Amino acid sequence: MPQIELKNVSHYVLRDINLTVKDKEILVLVGPNGAGKTTVLNVIAGLVDYMGQVCFDGKTMDRIPAHKRGVGYLFQDLALFPHLTASQNIAYGLKVQGYPADVINNRTKELMNALHISRLKERYPKNLSGGEKQRVAIARAIAPFQKILLLDEPTASLDAQTAKFLRSELRVLLKQFEITAIFVIHDLLGAEEVADRIAILHKGRIEQVASPKDILFQPKTNTVYEFIGMPNILECDKCHVLSSGLVEVASGDMKIVLPYEGDIISKIAISPHDIYLSGKKPPGPALNRYAGIVTEIIPLRSIVRVKVCIGQNTLMAELSKEAFDDMNLGVGNEVFVIVKLRRLRYFVT
Amino acid sequence: MSFKRLAIAFSVAVFLIYAGLILSLFYFYQGPLFVNTLLSERTLYSLRLSLTTATVAAVVSIFFAVPAAYALSRYKFFGGQIIDTLLELPMIVSPVALGAMILIFFNTPAGQLIQNRGVDFVFTVYGIVLAQFITTVGIAIRLIKAAMDEIPERYEDVAKTLGASPVKAFFTVVLPLCKRGIFASFVLTWAKALGEFGATITIAGSMAMKTETLPIAIFMRISSADIQGTAVLVLILIGIGLGILYGVRLFAGKKSYV
Repeated sequence: MPQIELKNVSHYVLRDINLTVKDKEILVLVGPNGAGKTTVLNVIAGLVDYMGQVCFDGKTMDRIPAHKRGVGYLFQDLALFPHLTASQNIAYGLKVQGYPADVINNRTKELMNALHISRLKERYPKNLSGGEKQRVAIARAIAPFQKILLLDEPTASLDAQTAKFLRSELRVLLKQFEITAIFVIHDLLGAEEVADRIAILHKGRIEQVASPKDILFQPKTNTVYEFIGMPNILECDKCHVLSSGLVEVASGDMKIVLPYEGDIISKIAISPHDIYLSGKKPPGPALNRYAGIVTEIIPLRSIVRVKVCIGQNTLMAELSKEAFDDMNLGVGNEVFVIVKLRRLRYFVT
Repeated sequence: MSFKRLAIAFSVAVFLIYAGLILSLFYFYQGPLFVNTLLSERTLYSLRLSLTTATVAAVVSIFFAVPAAYALSRYKFFGGQIIDTLLELPMIVSPVALGAMILIFFNTPAGQLIQNRGVDFVFTVYGIVLAQFITTVGIAIRLIKAAMDEIPERYEDVAKTLGASPVKAFFTVVLPLCKRGIFASFVLTWAKALGEFGATITIAGSMAMKTETLPIAIFMRISSADIQGTAVLVLILIGIGLGILYGVRLFAGKKSYV
C-alpha cells in the first residue's frame, strides 16, 4: 500500500520540502496563491523536474516517468478529453494500459455507479455540467486502479453547496477505494471537511503538518496563525450540558453555548470574521451575546480589526471598512459582541 | 457608408475580381473544343500526372509535417527557432528560385551522388514530386503546428498520469484532436502541389507526355497562343481545386468538440 515521501524536494518555487503522507491518508495542502501547492503535486506525479527524492513505499520514483508512476491526477481544469464520451474518458487509462475488455467494462460501470453518473456515459464533455464533469474526471483519475490520487482544487469551480457535497462524497469514495490522496484546497474550511491532516505551505516551504484541530488550536508559526484567520482561542473552565442538544461552556466571564456532541470541550476557536459587533444592545435572548469594551482598533487595507475586552477575555473581531465607519467606534466605547453559534469550532481533551 | 457595409464592399470587390477572371474564360469557351481538349491523350496524361504527383507530394509532406509540427509545437530545442523561420522559405523565395536552388543542389557533389547512386530527379517525374514537396512541406508544417498549438498540453499530462507513454498520448489524444487540422492541411498542400509551376518546370522541364503537369500544359498552350485550349485547361484546374477546397470547408465545419 502506498506511502508517499518527499525528501528535501526543491524546485524553483519549492524549498527543501520534507513530507510524508501515510498509506490511505488524505492530506490537504493549503496555502496562499503562489505557495507552490500545485508544484508539489506535479513533482509527485513526475510532470516536472525537481531536486531531492520522491518515494512511494520506500522506492525512489525519481527516474520513473509520469506514465509509470501509477499516480492519478485530477487537474484543476479537469481536462476531459473532448473527443471521447464520458465512459470512454473513464476507460481511457485502462485501455492504454492494456486491460482486457471485460475488466475495462466492469471497472467503468463500477465507478460510474459509485459516482452516480451512469446516465451520462454516452455524453461528450461539452454536454456535461460543471459538477458532472467533475465526477467523470474523478472516475477517470482512479479508474486504472490508482492507489495514489492527487487532486488540484477539485471543487474550486463549483458553487459552495455543490462543492461541500462533493467534498464529503470524495472523502467517502477515497476511503472506500483505500486511496492515498493529496488534495490542494484553497480555503481552510473546505480542507477541514476532507483532511486527515493538513499541510500549510507558504512561499515554497511547509510551515506545519498536523490534524485540522491541531492546526486551528496549536498553530506552530505566525504565518500559520495568520493564514488560518487569526482565530480567538478561548480556554474552557467548565462544561454544563443543557437540554435540547446544547452545551454551555464557561471561559472566564463568558458563557458560550454550542451544540453538544458528547465531548468534554477544552478550547473553543472563534474566527474574527464570525463575530458581529453592535453599538446597541441587540434584541432577543442573550445567547452568545456579550457586552465589552473596545481596547484596540487596527485598520488594514479593506478591513478593520477591533479588539474587545469581555471580562478576562479579549476577542478580536473583523469588520469591513464600511461597517466600521457606520458604527463610529472608538477605543473605550462599549460594544455588544454577537458570536455565530454554527461557526464555533472546539477542541476536545 | 457604415463600417460594416464598407468591409463587405471590399470582400465583394475581391470576389468580383476572381469571378470576373473565371467568367472571362467562358468568352473563349467552345463546347466541342472543351470535350476534345479534355479527352485528348495529352490532357489526360497531364491531368493524371498532376493528380498523382500532387497526391504523392502531399502525402510525403504530411508524413514529414506531423512529427515536425509536433516537435516545434511542444519542445524547446536548439535550432527550433531557425527551423521555424526557414519554414517560410517557400513563401519568401519565388518558386522558380526554389526550383533553381534544387537544380543547383543537384550540380554539387552531394547532389550528383544522389543522382548517380539513388534517384534521378532532374527532368523526371521524381523531380516533379520533389519540387512540389519542397514548395509545400513548410506550409504543411505551419498549418499543422497551428492546429497542434490549439490543443492544450494538459491533455497529454492527463494521458500520462493515466498510464499512456508519450507516444501513446500522441496517437490517442493529440492526433485525434487535430485530425481535422491535418486533413485540411493535406488538402491545401495537395491543392498547392497541384497548381505548382515555377519549381516544377525548372527542375523537371516541360516534356509533353513525360513531365508536363497541368500548369505546365497551360503555360505551353498560352506560349503557342492557343487561347481556347488554355481556357479549357484552366477551367479544369479551377474545377478540381475549388471543388476540393469547398469539400474541405464542409468537412471542417461539420463537428466541434467545444
